[in-house]
Amino acid sequence: MSKFWVVFKREYAQVVKKKSFLFGIFFMPLFMAGIMLLPAMLADTKASTTEKLAVIDQSEVGVGEGFKESLKRYTLNDSETPYYEVVEVFELSGADSARFTEIEDSLRQTIIDRELKYFLVVKPGAHLCDTCLYLVTNSDNIRSMNRFEYRLSDILSSVRLGISNVNIGVDSVLSLTRRINLPTRDAKGQSLPFLIKYMGALVFVMLMFGMILGYGQMVMRSVLEEKNSRIMEVLVSSVTPFQLMLGKIMGLGAATFTQAAIWVILGAGIYMGRGTFNIDSSIDRLVFNPAIIVFFVLFLVSGYLLYSTIFALIGSIVASEKEAQNFVFPVTMSLILPVMIGIYIIQEPNSTVSLILSMIPFFTPTMMSMRVVFLAPTLESYSVFSGIIAQAIIGFIIVVLTIVGMVWLTSKIFRIGILMYGKRPTLPEIVKWVRY
Amino acid sequence: MFLKLDRIRKEFNGKVAVDDLSLEVPRGVIYGIIGPNGAGKTTTIRMIMNITIPDSGSITLEGARVGKGFTNRVGYLPEERGLYKKMTLQEIMIYLAELKGMAASESSKKLDYWLERIGLMEYKNKKVEELSKGMQQKLQFVTTILHDPDILILDEIFSGLDPLNIELIKDIIMEMKRAEKTILFSTHVMEQAEKLCDHLCMISGGKKVIDGTLTDVKSQFGKNSIQIDIEGDGGFISSLPGVKKMTEFNNYIELHIEDGTDTNGLLKAIADKVLIRRFDIVEPSLYDIFIDMAKIDPLELEREGEVANV
Repeated sequence: MSKFWVVFKREYAQVVKKKSFLFGIFFMPLFMAGIMLLPAMLADTKASTTEKLAVIDQSEVGVGEGFKESLKRYTLNDSETPYYEVVEVFELSGADSARFTEIEDSLRQTIIDRELKYFLVVKPGAHLCDTCLYLVTNSDNIRSMNRFEYRLSDILSSVRLGISNVNIGVDSVLSLTRRINLPTRDAKGQSLPFLIKYMGALVFVMLMFGMILGYGQMVMRSVLEEKNSRIMEVLVSSVTPFQLMLGKIMGLGAATFTQAAIWVILGAGIYMGRGTFNIDSSIDRLVFNPAIIVFFVLFLVSGYLLYSTIFALIGSIVASEKEAQNFVFPVTMSLILPVMIGIYIIQEPNSTVSLILSMIPFFTPTMMSMRVVFLAPTLESYSVFSGIIAQAIIGFIIVVLTIVGMVWLTSKIFRIGILMYGKRPTLPEIVKWVRY
Repeated sequence: MFLKLDRIRKEFNGKVAVDDLSLEVPRGVIYGIIGPNGAGKTTTIRMIMNITIPDSGSITLEGARVGKGFTNRVGYLPEERGLYKKMTLQEIMIYLAELKGMAASESSKKLDYWLERIGLMEYKNKKVEELSKGMQQKLQFVTTILHDPDILILDEIFSGLDPLNIELIKDIIMEMKRAEKTILFSTHVMEQAEKLCDHLCMISGGKKVIDGTLTDVKSQFGKNSIQIDIEGDGGFISSLPGVKKMTEFNNYIELHIEDGTDTNGLLKAIADKVLIRRFDIVEPSLYDIFIDMAKIDPLELEREGEVANV
């Protein structure tokens, strides 16, 4: 058996045998799912009970009753229980300020006592003045606020139209002045909703970031452990430094992909349990898009190889993990940067700046994956000759060439650096090693 | 010749570490490379191990340049040595033997013998970090020989070892010599070299000072040394006729005398002034030869159990 495989086998076994490996397999997806689903779940829990409110209506044109009527369309999840219950509409004349103050004060108390969630105040002439309308509440529920604003806008529009002798009902106003959501379509066919692409790109990039950084640093720690425990010289008397370095990178890389493969199998299992491929499901269209999947895998592998080589280099020239942190920081930054400027890439995936950034080898794995998610051809009109596929292939080739260069450079430095105990070499010394 | 170093040279940042050094190591001998710290011993050994590449010169084993096939035939214990702390004894022994090309099935059969021999059998499935320092040293040594190497290269093997372990390792080294293995070791402690080596090479400042068999080296210098043990102040002795050099140690004085000096006359001259407890005409020690040949400050050399006092 080649010595490379002996090293490979040990590095692989050292990771896979650890309890933390098993823990990571199950904990990571739960953690990711938690981060994404928890806010939505928390927001949804509020919808399980009916929200109570009251209205003080001094408009004398029935805004309060109209509002009460318009809220009937909203129901809770079971679609039978109303979402809102308007307990009372106090219709007062605009002049009756004493009675108004009395009612308002008592309603305020009911809100403090949590008997009511909101009360709406409609002052005289509310259809003419924007400040003549307000909501009193102790909680800001964005969903309800949006609904109230929409409904009141419609009611007041209809009041205004009535005054202008255009006498139509609220429902007519609604249908005549309805807002639209502008869907986007690819020139060649149906595209994915923005939100799905955004979430997809985010999940891919975060996964890539986590795995490259986590396992790449493991390569560095492994080199440092061998330096610090002084077993290094024994090792390099049996294997060449190049075999050792490659065995380490590949062995730990194989552990990474074991983890990823288990996730894919688990995911596929869950997916199969749910149903079969559905061309109309956005998530299915994202996950089963060949370009997206193929490039995600290619860039995950090449990104890992590129960064783990850099981490091996760092491990070979520093004496301790503490010292290594100075070098790790810029490397981490070059991985985080694409995530930070990702919002720009997402908005302008096809711009020249996005293209150039995604062709810088250290950014390519993350940035190009994001762009592929946004620009990949749709399933209906698949063409391997689309621009983004050509760009991704070029990007991949650049990364591969960079890896070859980095491996060459690192093997030169690694060979000498690993036997330097305690003393960190200066830059001119490192340059000299490369020239040997 | 079994292992041959031909005019090897190595510089680090313009400083010559090894200067045109040539060595010939016959098969089946215990060969000592001796010299003070910084003499170039470790650099020489690293060049033999192909870890450091010489600037010039060649190193051959049985006429072929050392390289790929060589590493599997060698057991190497560097001066800076350690083990993976988190692996069990069994795992690390198998792993290191596997790196030397020995299949796991074979090494797992042999490792019991060696664990028994060094008294660590009960730790077979324990992690290395559970061993004491002395135990780890023994383990390091047996991981070096588990794959049954033809050549054993040991860099400062005895430094930091406790006396019991030194005896154990010496016994194993002698066994290996009897089994026709070649053992090359370096030390800066002359007494160890004197007790173990058949052949030796002294180096100083990267240059060879002298080499040959232990008997050859010693006979070149003749019996021109006297060890005396006296009561009282022996300061006058250095000025007695025939005395070339006097070295005082804690428990005795060593005298180098000119060839043909009347030793009886010298004995009388000393006995006149102080009480003599011992008067020994001896072969020169490696230590003396080395100091004489290399013209170095004796303080750079260590004597086992004694402090040089010049």
